[in-house]
Amino acid sequence: MDQPIDVPACLQRWKEGDENAAEELIRYLYPVISKIVRLHLPRRDDEEDLIQEILMKTFSRLHQYKGDAPMSHWVSRLALTTCLDRLRAQKVRPEIRWADLTPEETTMFDAAWLSGSTKDAGDAIQARDLVDKILSTLSGEDRSLILMVDLEGQALQEIADLTGWSVSKIKMRLFRIRTQLRKMIDNIEERP
Amino acid sequence: MKEDEKWQALLAISTPTFAGETTPPYGFMTRTLARLKTEKRQQELIEKIGLRAFLASLAVLGLSICLTLCLHFTNQGDLEPGMNGFIQVENVQVS
Repeated sequence: MDQPIDVPACLQRWKEGDENAAEELIRYLYPVISKIVRLHLPRRDDEEDLIQEILMKTFSRLHQYKGDAPMSHWVSRLALTTCLDRLRAQKVRPEIRWADLTPEETTMFDAAWLSGSTKDAGDAIQARDLVDKILSTLSGEDRSLILMVDLEGQALQEIADLTGWSVSKIKMRLFRIRTQLRKMIDNIEERP
Repeated sequence: MKEDEKWQALLAISTPTFAGETTPPYGFMTRTLARLKTEKRQQELIEKIGLRAFLASLAVLGLSICLTLCLHFTNQGDLEPGMNGFIQVENVQVS
């Protein structure tokens, strides 16, 4: 995130019609929104458009922001809700098999098993494609949840605060998602 | 389980691709500010139109109230609206 800004003063200036205040707010909020959009949206969707949409929503709802929590939290929640709405509209792939993978992905699938991690940028992209393919078999909400836990290492309570779901619901969901993921990886392993 | 390990390994390798951008790309600020400006202008226009429509409907309501009251007071002696005129034309005795 850039240098912290005086959010209340910025909001006041924006209300008074100062466009520089809007620019400061956008620069401040951009990294927060970008991080969420990158995590919760498949790479092929247009990130920039979605970030802009979330920013427009933010500005149109500024009157709802009471200032009792940091603005970045309020915007994070708005961004996550928007991403989840977008993900809900996407089709869920019924299953994925070895034959559905590209040759690069099959190599990555085996390499990941052997090496565990790599610093190569090309490998990261291949692995991301594979991760996206596996995640496409989950519903939008499940996809976001597993990434928040496994990739970001967010605490269950933190996720509950952000999504409005109960902790027990999250735990049950995680159990179901992990079972589904194991099944998918097992499916891929059954190569012809 | 080996499936879990594989999943975690794939995620670990792909981690850099999930990192968000810290600064907006070239042209993003200009486009966003322009859109923000347009939407603000549209919002103000809608509010202005809404206010005018509200005032116009208030004026119509006020006018209709005035008309009703005027008719009420001018025809106060009527048995029914229009009956006064009928009595005068037909010269009917009302006592």
